[in-house]
Amino acid sequence: MTASAPSASHTVEGIARVVRVDAGVAWLEPEQTGGCGSCASAASCGAGSPGIGEVAGRIAARRFPLDNPDGLLAGERVVIGVDPHSLLKAALTAYAIPLATALAAGGIAEGAWGSDLATMAAMASGLGLGLLLARIAARQLARRGDLAPRFLRRAGGSRA
Amino acid sequence: MKEFALMMIGAALVNNVILARFLGLCSFMGVTTRIDTAVGMGLATTFVMTVSAMADWAVQRYLLEAFGLGYLRTITFILVIASTVQFTEMVIRKVSPSLFQMLGIYLPLIATNCAVLGVALLVVEGRMNFIGSTLFAFASALGFSLVMIIFAGLRERLALATVPPLFNGPPIAFIVAGLLAMAFMGFSGIGAG
Repeated sequence: MTASAPSASHTVEGIARVVRVDAGVAWLEPEQTGGCGSCASAASCGAGSPGIGEVAGRIAARRFPLDNPDGLLAGERVVIGVDPHSLLKAALTAYAIPLATALAAGGIAEGAWGSDLATMAAMASGLGLGLLLARIAARQLARRGDLAPRFLRRAGGSRA
Repeated sequence: MKEFALMMIGAALVNNVILARFLGLCSFMGVTTRIDTAVGMGLATTFVMTVSAMADWAVQRYLLEAFGLGYLRTITFILVIASTVQFTEMVIRKVSPSLFQMLGIYLPLIATNCAVLGVALLVVEGRMNFIGSTLFAFASALGFSLVMIIFAGLRERLALATVPPLFNGPPIAFIVAGLLAMAFMGFSGIGAG
């Protein structure tokens, strides 16, 4: 989700477009509004206009469902939001857990054997273990609904 | 142990990637309008920088040095970094689609972050062992994240301040970045006394 300017509710807001409506569920694609899209490397990193980074493919891959009690229609643009603490929890889950286990495993192996190959193998194993733990933690977060974006309001400029 | 601690403090604070080596300035200016996004970007960069430094060390030791291919170092490291970013993106998508929706935006930006390549090249120049290289990259990434978060906090405060129209926007951000760099210069005195 792309962050917008600070709002009074301190929610991290982003704009998404409704691409499909199924029974009670709207499928949304986030719009790219990041400030990075204007730099010289935008075409290759995928943050800006379509280029080597295949922006369309990336955005389609980030399509997500949202409950549709407000009767959203395909083509509408909406403002969605997530709690900023959720963003922090998500980032810590995805990146900090695997990194912590990898570094801990590497530190133990270095202390025990002091060999580069053993440390490398231990770190790779630690990384794998960390990713498994991250998967479990992410499932718990998702079950609690911490990672789900909320519909805030309709945005202007709907495209049918 | 002590030398690792000193090396990490040096990499994170004294020779900070952004403020002393001037690497990763695109993300520094582009993704620091909010603390939340700066934290997300900082953690993602820390992960990628550390994992790619591990991979780069192995490639340098067992491929480039072993076969006398040192002249291919830069292009090989770019390939390794791009692969690490792609790998991370795939793993996060597999591990948790919800996390991918929230964090996927940061990953493509890291592929073109020169700080990641810069740290990988510094690791090779330092001729450190595997654990030393990994800790150096990790500490450099922590320093990167620290500066991103401090700068994002300052910019959030600046958004509420009354700034003269001439300085509004990027000019005041650059002035604040300069003041922050000067503040970090204070760390260069560590160990001198």
